[in-house]
Amino acid sequence: MGVLRFIEKNLDQVLFLSSEHIFMVGLSLIIGTAIGVPLGILITKKVNLAKRVINSANIIMTVPSIALFGLMMPILALIGEGLGKVPAIVALVLYSQLPIIRNTYVAIKNVPTSVRDAGKGMGMSKWELLREVEIPIAMPVIIAGLRTAAVMNIGIAAIAAYIGAGGLGVYIQQGIDRVYPEMIISGALLVSLFAILIDGLMAGVEYLLTPKGIRLEKMLAR
Amino acid sequence: MICYDHLTKIYGEGKNAVTALEDVTFSIEKGQTVILLGPSGCGKTTLLRCTNRLESITRGEILVHGQDIMDMDVIQLRRQMGYVIQDIGLFPNKTIADNIGVVPKLIGWDSQKIAARVDELLTMVRLEPEVFRSRYPVELSGGQQQRVGVARALAADPDILLMDEPFAAIDPINREQIQNEFLKLQEHLEKTIVFVSHDIHEAVKMGDKIALFDKGRLVQYDTPEILLTRPKNKYVADFVGADRALKVLGIILAKDIVNLRPRDLVKGEDSAEDVLKMMEEKGLSHAIVIAHGKPLGYVTPQKLKYKKGQVRDLVEKYPVHISERTPARDILSYMLMLDFFTLYVVDENGEFIGTVAYNDIKKKVKESYAGDLKTD
Repeated sequence: MGVLRFIEKNLDQVLFLSSEHIFMVGLSLIIGTAIGVPLGILITKKVNLAKRVINSANIIMTVPSIALFGLMMPILALIGEGLGKVPAIVALVLYSQLPIIRNTYVAIKNVPTSVRDAGKGMGMSKWELLREVEIPIAMPVIIAGLRTAAVMNIGIAAIAAYIGAGGLGVYIQQGIDRVYPEMIISGALLVSLFAILIDGLMAGVEYLLTPKGIRLEKMLAR
Repeated sequence: MICYDHLTKIYGEGKNAVTALEDVTFSIEKGQTVILLGPSGCGKTTLLRCTNRLESITRGEILVHGQDIMDMDVIQLRRQMGYVIQDIGLFPNKTIADNIGVVPKLIGWDSQKIAARVDELLTMVRLEPEVFRSRYPVELSGGQQQRVGVARALAADPDILLMDEPFAAIDPINREQIQNEFLKLQEHLEKTIVFVSHDIHEAVKMGDKIALFDKGRLVQYDTPEILLTRPKNKYVADFVGADRALKVLGIILAKDIVNLRPRDLVKGEDSAEDVLKMMEEKGLSHAIVIAHGKPLGYVTPQKLKYKKGQVRDLVEKYPVHISERTPARDILSYMLMLDFFTLYVVDENGEFIGTVAYNDIKKKVKESYAGDLKTD
């Protein structure tokens, strides 16, 4: 009950930290998508590049989040942005790359050869084929990648409080420092709640953006 | 018209080089269906894919309507050729109507014109537009999907159709049907068709000419009849099979062997006695009874003995009707099954045309094989 009372008492701050959290995750997801999806598509056309790109994204994933935030500080300090939201968002964008690039790459690669062949043979340009056929067919898997990235980043963003980025991580960090269990649990609870919420939201987006023919295909395959 | 001129295709380089096509030269006349035939790995599909530049050409050239395809814009080239493949490759994310309308949409037809064309094509391939227009590929059977595949290839009315084993993945019963429908379609479409097949039956049935390949070389390029009756060498003879005399039966149609003036014809109103007398004089075992241009059935001397009245009341019905387009293979099969060695041929309205007899089929096959004995 102490947790609910804590949230009630600090409602203004809770809302503020929540909005900060969502802002960081949302912005990093938008930037991450803008980089990752085109990159994932590009490497389906350049086979020798694919391995390198995916491996790089893999390596980024293996760096512990606290270390990555730490690494961002001296690098971004060069442009005077060593602390706060900028290094946090940059790190989140980097983390989101693996699920986004890998899912996009696999989804486009898995478009049946016969479909691609028919399209090419009928005189579709590469761009037309991508727009009309490959991307729509790949859509559910691409969105699934974004979904993974979003949920993962909600968790990782909580750690960004350590580099002064704000967000719900602030409660966890300060709670630990001040040995204030209600504060820690409030932060953790809200982060989890957001993760579940966003996961559900993205599931809806996935459903809406999947072409009906592909949905039917999956239904009938069951 | 398509001309293949000393076409060579080599995959890979140096030690790993594989020659898929070697010095292939032949040409396909406008409006003809040419079957590229051969076992897998003989280069037939490669040749087809060179035609719309899905494969590059190593040496030689391909001329379409007299123009070198390498000088043409590749997108334009492909859009003037319909392309149908074995795996069909319908776009699963698009409705049937959108699948068929892909090329018209790319070349900028307005949506009304596309919709009208889609309905026209669906009707042509015998799928009801109201039912199928808004369905998705996954909701159709394999046979239906390939009908859509054919419709899609025909959408922008290209002169040329490239078909890569289009009916190979369809079950035998549906295949037969879709082949027949396609033949009927082609009768008034008059497209130039390049058709890859590994099935000699299909080749004989569908082709105006057959190009038989072996290890990237063109071995024989002839009409199905010549290929079956005068194979150039042992490879061709083996490929068409020891039963090629039976395969010839598939290209001989009833109209080729029909006897238009049979002597065993009697009128319905003739009297039984007169007919019996006539049959005994001519030594006929049976006679076909005709009334008002339509065949009623047949009579035999046994049946007419001691009978009076008109023969029309004494006829026995024939168990089958033969149409002009029935192949000799089917006719012969009926004859063997029914133990009946003369059948009659009727036109679409059921009017009597003539008769086919076992001996006519035999004579025709023998004629086809005249001069063929040395190759066996």
